[in-house]
Amino acid sequence: MIRKAVLLLAASTALLAPAFSAAAAPAKPALQAPVAAPAIPRQADGKPDFSGIWQVLGEADYDLEPHAGRRDAPPGPGVVEGGTIPYTPEALERRNKNFATRAKDDPRLKCWVLGVPRGVYYPAPFQIFQRAQDLTLVHQFGNQVRTIRTDGSDHPEEKHQEFWLGDSRGHWEGDTLVVDVADFNEETWLDRAGNFHGPDLHVVERWTFVDPNTISYSVTLDEVGIFTKPWTINVLLHRRRDKGFQLIEDYCYALEYEQFYPHKDGK
Amino acid sequence: MNRKTVCATVALLLAAIAPAAIAQEAAPAPQPTAPGIRWQKDVPAIASGEWTGARLADGQPDVSGFWSNTISNHSNFTDPQAGPPGEPSAAAKLPRDQRAPSRVSDPGDGQVPYLPAARALQEDFAKNFPNPVKPRYIEPLARCAPAGVPKSFMWHGYEVRQYPGYVVFLFDSGTRIIKLDGSPHIAPGIKLWNGDSRGHWEGNTLVVDVRNNNGKALFGRYGDYMGDNAAVAERFVFDPAGQRFNYVATFTDPTVYSRPWTATIPARRYTVADKPDGWHFDVKPVNLPGKPLQYEHSERICAENNGPFGGGAVGVPSDEPVIDR
Repeated sequence: MIRKAVLLLAASTALLAPAFSAAAAPAKPALQAPVAAPAIPRQADGKPDFSGIWQVLGEADYDLEPHAGRRDAPPGPGVVEGGTIPYTPEALERRNKNFATRAKDDPRLKCWVLGVPRGVYYPAPFQIFQRAQDLTLVHQFGNQVRTIRTDGSDHPEEKHQEFWLGDSRGHWEGDTLVVDVADFNEETWLDRAGNFHGPDLHVVERWTFVDPNTISYSVTLDEVGIFTKPWTINVLLHRRRDKGFQLIEDYCYALEYEQFYPHKDGK
Repeated sequence: MNRKTVCATVALLLAAIAPAAIAQEAAPAPQPTAPGIRWQKDVPAIASGEWTGARLADGQPDVSGFWSNTISNHSNFTDPQAGPPGEPSAAAKLPRDQRAPSRVSDPGDGQVPYLPAARALQEDFAKNFPNPVKPRYIEPLARCAPAGVPKSFMWHGYEVRQYPGYVVFLFDSGTRIIKLDGSPHIAPGIKLWNGDSRGHWEGNTLVVDVRNNNGKALFGRYGDYMGDNAAVAERFVFDPAGQRFNYVATFTDPTVYSRPWTATIPARRYTVADKPDGWHFDVKPVNLPGKPLQYEHSERICAENNGPFGGGAVGVPSDEPVIDR
């Protein structure tokens, strides 16, 4: 994807070049112009600008692995490279247990922070606010706000802080934002099907524009003792372009007690 | 953030309320209700006018960074340094003019001009706050509800980030996205903890119109509140040096108040020159070896870690599903 975009970009630069030498050289018939990729949004410093409201379109949050339709999930082709998650035997057993109790044990049901990467492919919009030194991801669901610093900083020296979202540090590799996320707790799940991780999860995200309104989100997860090897999820994120669309706060963990306010006895 | 850290934070907050009387034994002058909670007595006036400070590339005054209130937390809206209901602070015994003024700056008597029925509800909450025998008497922030408008400006320190078309407030309890694009508010039937904000800059003042309020957050532990018909006209007036601002907000709600009234809440900026204190300035150093010191705030978590609160009289935490989607 990156390679193609770069080639197209190079091609469009080539198209500009003859203009400068037009006086010296006789005009040539127009080249068979390649279909130019629309320019992606960029920051003042030239880096891609992911500002905007994004949302996944797909079934990833129901089950990352390929699955037929069932009572609580539409069918999905799966988003894991290679099909299934490479669990160790013990971890697979725990995943299967989670699957059996998913109707009550999925942390999403309490509207808790979904974690990384789940918040990204959970089917609710999130807004990216971007500056040269950081990206801020405000998720509509619950109270999830993540900062990805792109200022060259490293994870905190203080380890084992057990963040719900992990600690995110990003850098640019060409037009791809690469984010290293570490220092998690083990409270969050990866989907509604009981896929999970432990506290030593290590996540590497790769964010790349496919076109101005689509981001390729590719994320690799690794954790010794849970997975037998690193594995990768690929989803596309789409810009919410509905007229006048904006995030509408969804502090759903407050739903059970909002009935008591202001100054009410509740139902 | 892990559970330990949050428990420590909660402990500190509890400590913030309880041992005020002990503090008074030790020192004759008014003291903060907890180490770190700044307790200035005065609210300096800041005039609206031109902005002469730094600007961002899009022309907005650059007010990004860490901020916090200067007079007290949300224990008491109209007598900010007197403590919450049932637990008067050390300073509560002093003459009134030796404490910070009411946050109600208009009318001049410092009281919210409630209609009689609304006043009765507020007083009923205050009376029952120390022993909350019903869920309605638990301060919603104790349950991790968004602090909302205007309580967010009396709670922990917060961060402002600015972008073309936006000012974003990152509070420990909730996030406010203020759109500067002149677009209309969302449909009036949608009621929200933080309301729906549209703003613009007038010189040194960020002017924000807040609609769609659900009125549920309350203003603090005395139960002051607005209804879900309220409109809030906010003015964030920044001083020329960008080191302070006054939050000046006019509340209009004919179903709750006899007339519009105005709150003033002072705030100051926190920078690397300040020492992190875990409350106003709850930050840690960025790991940037060889570069000048910078601070960052860790992730903001609450519902996931919340322990019993509100006197423990009514269960607050719940592990039950709250959504079915």
